[in-house]
Amino acid sequence: MAGRTLLNVNKLRSGYGNVAVINGLSFDVKEGEIVAIVGRNGVGKTTLLKTLIGELPCQGGDIEFRGRSMNAVPAAERAQLGIGYVPQGRGLFTGLSVEDNLRLGKLVGGRPKEMNFDRVYGFFPILKTRLSQIAGTMSGGQQQQLSIGRILIGNPSIMLLDEPSEGIQPNIVQEIGEIIRRIRTEEKLTVIIVEQNLDLIQASADRCIVIDKGAIVDEILPSDLDDPEIARKYLAI
Amino acid sequence: MDAFTQIFGFAFQYLDSAAYLILAALGLSIIFGMMGVINMAHGELMMIGAYITAFCMYGGIPAPIAILLAGVGAGIAGMILERLIIRHFYKQLLSSLVVTWGLSMIISQVFLIMFGPNMPSLPTPFSDIKILVGGEVGFALVGAEGFARVTGETGRMPPGVESFGIYRLVMFAVAVLMVVAVWLLLRKTEFGARARATMDNPTMANALGISTPRIYAYTFGLGSALAGIAGGLFALTSAITPYFGAAYTARAFITVVVGGAAGVINGLVASVAALGGVQTILSNLFSVYIGFVGMIAAAFLILLVMPTGISGYMEKLRGRSR
Repeated sequence: MAGRTLLNVNKLRSGYGNVAVINGLSFDVKEGEIVAIVGRNGVGKTTLLKTLIGELPCQGGDIEFRGRSMNAVPAAERAQLGIGYVPQGRGLFTGLSVEDNLRLGKLVGGRPKEMNFDRVYGFFPILKTRLSQIAGTMSGGQQQQLSIGRILIGNPSIMLLDEPSEGIQPNIVQEIGEIIRRIRTEEKLTVIIVEQNLDLIQASADRCIVIDKGAIVDEILPSDLDDPEIARKYLAI
Repeated sequence: MDAFTQIFGFAFQYLDSAAYLILAALGLSIIFGMMGVINMAHGELMMIGAYITAFCMYGGIPAPIAILLAGVGAGIAGMILERLIIRHFYKQLLSSLVVTWGLSMIISQVFLIMFGPNMPSLPTPFSDIKILVGGEVGFALVGAEGFARVTGETGRMPPGVESFGIYRLVMFAVAVLMVVAVWLLLRKTEFGARARATMDNPTMANALGISTPRIYAYTFGLGSALAGIAGGLFALTSAITPYFGAAYTARAFITVVVGGAAGVINGLVASVAALGGVQTILSNLFSVYIGFVGMIAAAFLILLVMPTGISGYMEKLRGRSR
């Protein structure tokens, strides 16, 4: 499955103001991989994603996407290069309609002539029936689908998901995990997923990078988390 | 005065005062609602529009084109101000207020030095066309000839007949057109969707590839252009001086704050409907001065009950019913 290196993070340092939350973190992600980033609360997982998309500046080290350094590339341009972001809390434009939200994803991965509505409906058929609904009035699970669908409207090559299981009923978590795997297989997308939910990690990820205090402390397989000892150590359970 | 004349006069004044408030406040409302900037230099952008209109018309350019050019000129001026100064003060209500206040003083001083304390006034368009209501006339739209026929040899209006200039109604029509145009722009175009997304969640808009600084610059330019057009329209009915804008700024502010930032267009329309109504009724019953004081009192009461303005209050009600 895995091909060339898509994303290369090298000795990355980042944080808020002078406080370094990420401190010398390095890893690679290959094309078509689904990598879970796990670790307890407050170890810098969300900070890492925010730095990858350019919301937070890189204070040291390097982020390379397709062999090109992203350090000086502003966030909007990174999105246009194909980095799609589904933030914690989903980041929807809550006052806008479902359709407007979807359309606003079209710049991700450049400017396609056509928006991929059918591709989005293929994964999330519910959205087709809700186009005129105001996004903020949908249920948590539907909002999550919209947030993922919004970047699939464009042409992302990598999808960064921050805690997609948050605020979602347990029976839908498994479904989201399966959809993430389908998106990877059918659309050849690379996925980085920050997650605490054991079920979702095991339903989707190929491997897990474990972060603590802003650095990588271990790399494990999702199945290793079956061991309650390891799960307790690395997840906030 | 018969009842019909009274009602017509009242309606005319209501439309006139609504047009005044809409034109003065529309551009300001967009900038405040979308960007959280209190632009005290709004009146000066109107003043720039008035001067551009004046110079164009001195040069023989017809009024409608001159007013459009005023919009373009003020829009460009606004975008330059935004790039150089205002972008450093987004979402900082107090700083933006102080900085734009300073800017407003600088702009009017520069105009005073460059062009002197006043400019030759401009002819009001359609000043020959009048609506006559009441008395023996009943209801009539007349030109200069018709007007002369009615006034006869004495040159005086027959008893019970009131005359209304038509330019005020043209201003109201233009004001409504501008509101509709802005609504369509924000609701139906890609720029509008991006602007609303940027207002809703700038960080996320940016993460989806939308250049938020560019959206801010265009939005400020749009608000400034609307101010310029309004300035051009007002220039045809009032004296053009470097302090032209100050008269409009206060009322524009009251209107925008009462409307609230939650819904740019519907807040503005509701605010204009309410404040314009209060002003018209009190002006009719007492005097223009009481009308203005009453408008401020109404604004005070509305804000006491709805601190985030009418649109903010409506938003809250909707949220509760959800």
